Amino acid sequence: MAPKFQIKVFQISTFIKNLTIISIVTISFLLVFFSKSDLYVINGIKSISTSVIIPITRVISAPVNAVSNLVDEYNQFRSLKFENKLLQEEIIRLKKWQTLAIQNSRENKVLKKLLNATDNNLSLVKTASLINRNDTIYSKLINLNAGYEDKIEKNMSAINERGLLGKVIDTTSNNSRVILLTDPNLSISVKTISDGIFSLLSGNGDGKYLVSSFIKENKMPRLGDIVVTSGTAQIFPVDLLVGKVAKVEKNRFFVLPFVDFENIDYVQIVTSK
Amino acid sequence: MEFSKFFNSTIKLNIILIISFSISVNSFILLSNVNNAFYVLFHLTFIYLIFYHYHYYLYLVALVYGILFDILLLNNIGAHLITFLSLLILFILIRKYLIRLSSYQIIFIYFITLIILFLIEQFLANLIHNYKFNMSSIFNFFLISLIIFIPTIFLFTKLDK
Repeated sequence: MAPKFQIKVFQISTFIKNLTIISIVTISFLLVFFSKSDLYVINGIKSISTSVIIPITRVISAPVNAVSNLVDEYNQFRSLKFENKLLQEEIIRLKKWQTLAIQNSRENKVLKKLLNATDNNLSLVKTASLINRNDTIYSKLINLNAGYEDKIEKNMSAINERGLLGKVIDTTSNNSRVILLTDPNLSISVKTISDGIFSLLSGNGDGKYLVSSFIKENKMPRLGDIVVTSGTAQIFPVDLLVGKVAKVEKNRFFVLPFVDFENIDYVQIVTSK
Repeated sequence: MEFSKFFNSTIKLNIILIISFSISVNSFILLSNVNNAFYVLFHLTFIYLIFYHYHYYLYLVALVYGILFDILLLNNIGAHLITFLSLLILFILIRKYLIRLSSYQIIFIYFITLIILFLIEQFLANLIHNYKFNMSSIFNFFLISLIIFIPTIFLFTKLDK
């Protein structure tokens, strides 16, 4: 009786194993197939990885983070003298600009009153700080410590003091993910300040430049032109600073973003008023 | 005793898998090569587990890590999940031929598999998620693999012993 029983157990366990493998392969196929859709399961998996997995990975990688901070501090200490000199020069330069800016600001207020214009088109939702970043391998993503409890929603714009950073692609109760401008999968509608040339920009893949994917009427901008959001796609508010035209080729141009993507500490989530 | 030895080394390899995954998904701007090195180490460990510690639970491991890598690095499920599961299925198909090979031949296949995995991941990321096929990144992974391959094999063999 005993051998028969053993054979039965073996058959059942093999059947279960095979069934498990087939189930896993089927689940994987379905997940890949529906990964770009807005299904509840996909959103759930994304939320869990943002709110649960990322904090765990941060704890595990804490020693490496500590070493990275130490290297950063050492580098800062080394460049202290040089930076001090630069800052002194910048203070003198900025003082001159400050006087000019105060004059311009007064002038602007008077002109706005005359035109009956509003102050700006942005409304601040939340200022959040960076939790961690996933921008070394493949995509350019960052995670912030504020989520839908702070009224952050999908597709809101992320900016810092230098200009446009990216947009919110995923939110959980206390966290949100932002796709950076340098990611090849994010396209933004922009225009140049000087000539008003409209175009679409997306990440070049190198993490540094943005490259034009479409230029309206094939009008090429000039080198050094400043690029801002056009607001036509109604995702990003109008007139957010994006970058400067750094290279112009026959059918495309490259933009160097104003934001230093390697030094992001605080991010402001904004929407159009 | 034999079972406990096997169990211990498998647990140790899985701990390496968790640590290397955690470090590779947290970008360190000043130590970007550390991210890449741990990304390579994850792949090395996963292939080692398949080659020398094959078990059905590895399908679940491939599913979980595949999804997590895809969401955290690509924001969409695809490239890693397909690659990891394909590797497992391919291993079952060629297992009977691998057994006949010498240890040096297996190590050579191990290294080739690692490089092909990176190439397939890049290709799928390009095909499914529109990420540029980055040759400099592949070259970087290749160089890191060359540097850490032998020490890692040595470490894993020590763990197994």
